Amino acid sequence: MRAGLAIASLVIAALGCAPATAQTPQLQGFAPQQLKTGAEIYARNCSPCHGARMLDPQGASDLRKFPRGERERFVNSVTRGKNQMPPWGDLLKPEEVEALWAYVVAGEKI
Amino acid sequence: MTGQTLDDLKNDGKNTDNILTYGMGYHQQRYSPLRQIDKNTVRRLVPVWNLSLDNNWGEQAQPIVYDGVMVVTNARATVAIDAVSGKQIWKQTLEWPPETPRVVCCGVSNKGAAIYNGRVYRTTLDAHVVAYDAKTGKEIWKSKVAEWKDGYALTVAPLIANGVLITGISGAEFGIRGFIDGWDPETGKQLWRHYTIPARGEKGNETWPQDNNAWETGGGSAWITGSYDPALDLMYWGIGNPAPWASQRRPGDNLYTSSVLAMRPKTGEVVWYYQFTPNDAYDYDACWELILAELNVQGRPRKVAMQLNRNGFLYVLDRTNGQLISANAYEKVNWASHVDLKTGRPVETDIAKSIRDMKATEHWPSTRGAKNWQHAAFNPQTGLIYANTMHEGRMYRHLETKPFVVGQRYQFIENLLLPRAAGEPVGHIEAIDPLTAEKKWRVPLADFQIWSAMLTTGGGVLFTGKETGEFIALDADTGKQLWQFQTGSGINAMPVTFTQKGRQYVTVLSGIGGLYWNIAREQLKDKVPSGGSVWTFALMPN
Repeated sequence: MRAGLAIASLVIAALGCAPATAQTPQLQGFAPQQLKTGAEIYARNCSPCHGARMLDPQGASDLRKFPRGERERFVNSVTRGKNQMPPWGDLLKPEEVEALWAYVVAGEKI
Repeated sequence: MTGQTLDDLKNDGKNTDNILTYGMGYHQQRYSPLRQIDKNTVRRLVPVWNLSLDNNWGEQAQPIVYDGVMVVTNARATVAIDAVSGKQIWKQTLEWPPETPRVVCCGVSNKGAAIYNGRVYRTTLDAHVVAYDAKTGKEIWKSKVAEWKDGYALTVAPLIANGVLITGISGAEFGIRGFIDGWDPETGKQLWRHYTIPARGEKGNETWPQDNNAWETGGGSAWITGSYDPALDLMYWGIGNPAPWASQRRPGDNLYTSSVLAMRPKTGEVVWYYQFTPNDAYDYDACWELILAELNVQGRPRKVAMQLNRNGFLYVLDRTNGQLISANAYEKVNWASHVDLKTGRPVETDIAKSIRDMKATEHWPSTRGAKNWQHAAFNPQTGLIYANTMHEGRMYRHLETKPFVVGQRYQFIENLLLPRAAGEPVGHIEAIDPLTAEKKWRVPLADFQIWSAMLTTGGGVLFTGKETGEFIALDADTGKQLWQFQTGSGINAMPVTFTQKGRQYVTVLSGIGGLYWNIAREQLKDKVPSGGSVWTFALMPN
């Protein structure tokens, strides 16, 4: 239930953003602070499997290749878990998952 | 299954019908005198049964065999099997919250059960220890070790020593303060807890900063079963890495991380310790097997404990008092030049300084070690250690540490791939002299490292398994492969051998999982499907 609400709120939040293809090449519409938060969460919790700075993802999926148009799938996977990845919905707040998405899309391109 | 006594456990290995302890004997030599399967007959080795474990998380456990019944575990279940027919006798499944793997750094698995007095004991991923009735599988008691949400998990096989059930803990990657627990096997009541990091005012705490609380979140897990010497009444537990891996906030030796503790099973009292890697900045850990044997050292028999440490050195200690006898590099090492036998301490190089200065640095062996948990075997007839080792460096960097958050990762490092020269092996299967670390033979591995334990036998044959599923037998004199069988998934477990009615059997669990599956999934996923099962082999009759 909580995960469902989190996703709903993120979808609503997403409606306020321009589509990824229309964004500026630099921050792609994400606030610097949001990218910083995302980078910190990523470095602590995600990098052990997905690789430092998304380099060398080893066994987990290569997030550099995650389709930019599939934000909802990203949020779902993080929140509810996917395959060997456990759910994070009870630990990360919706805005933190949002920050992670920002980092995955744009965090290593600035 | 009826009862088995402390004497049975002490004598494990002498009655080859049974395998009662982790490591096939309290000494953890993983040696069996059996010779029905030898270098010549091994060609007639065929599977006699296979049982699905209905589990996709990976199989790492060592089977226990008593009175014709085999017990195996994984993270999801405990299964009792007729050792000859392969028929399932009982199965107890475990439920844990789907979030639990978040606090498991290195693979959702379980290393095996212990048995004592008609009961089967195991640990659970969500940090409990459980007792089942060995005949029926009925749960007798279940005790909570710690709160999994705080970063604690258990995958370790319990040890029964001097009538006490003993368990370790995992979680140094999440900033736990590690401990070893003693339990009453009858009731599940905790008898003692010994923290691996001493509290303020206790001896050893002075090796942690006194102006911050780093010791409270300093790691020091214990995730591989200790060995035990009943004559000395000492058990030997390898202790894990300090937390976080980045070391800037924890100057000092950080006792008793990356050490061995020699302890009394009845009380948890530490009689001696030896620290392999003071102020470990590399996740070098020291958790796995401390193999007990008698070695001839300069003409004198010595009771020793041996470890192929992750830091690249092979240590031989006098297990009566912890005195260092020898420590020689068995793989490429660049963080230390050697171990000073007088002080017992490694002599760090400029590479170590560069890492401590937070510079990206080419580092050998990598944090995963020159050997990881894949247990080595020691054959007292040849005096050699047989091991699956790793040849791996990484570009390693400490990051700025952030405040501790309970239940979250506490590492703060980057660990990136190094380019690999064409033809450079990723690891070896090898026979090593314990006192010199010289290799009697060495078989290079070109594609994938081996993350299975080794088994050595009186028949001159070694058994181990590959991530690509092959269960293999090697000539212990040369390393030449004599036989192989393709199992249905990858093997990262612990082969055993035993007899029933005079016939020698060999058993191994197949089911890819564990840390190496995390590391190499991209290369293995199209070749090696998941799915756990037990395979048992014997010689086809003439």
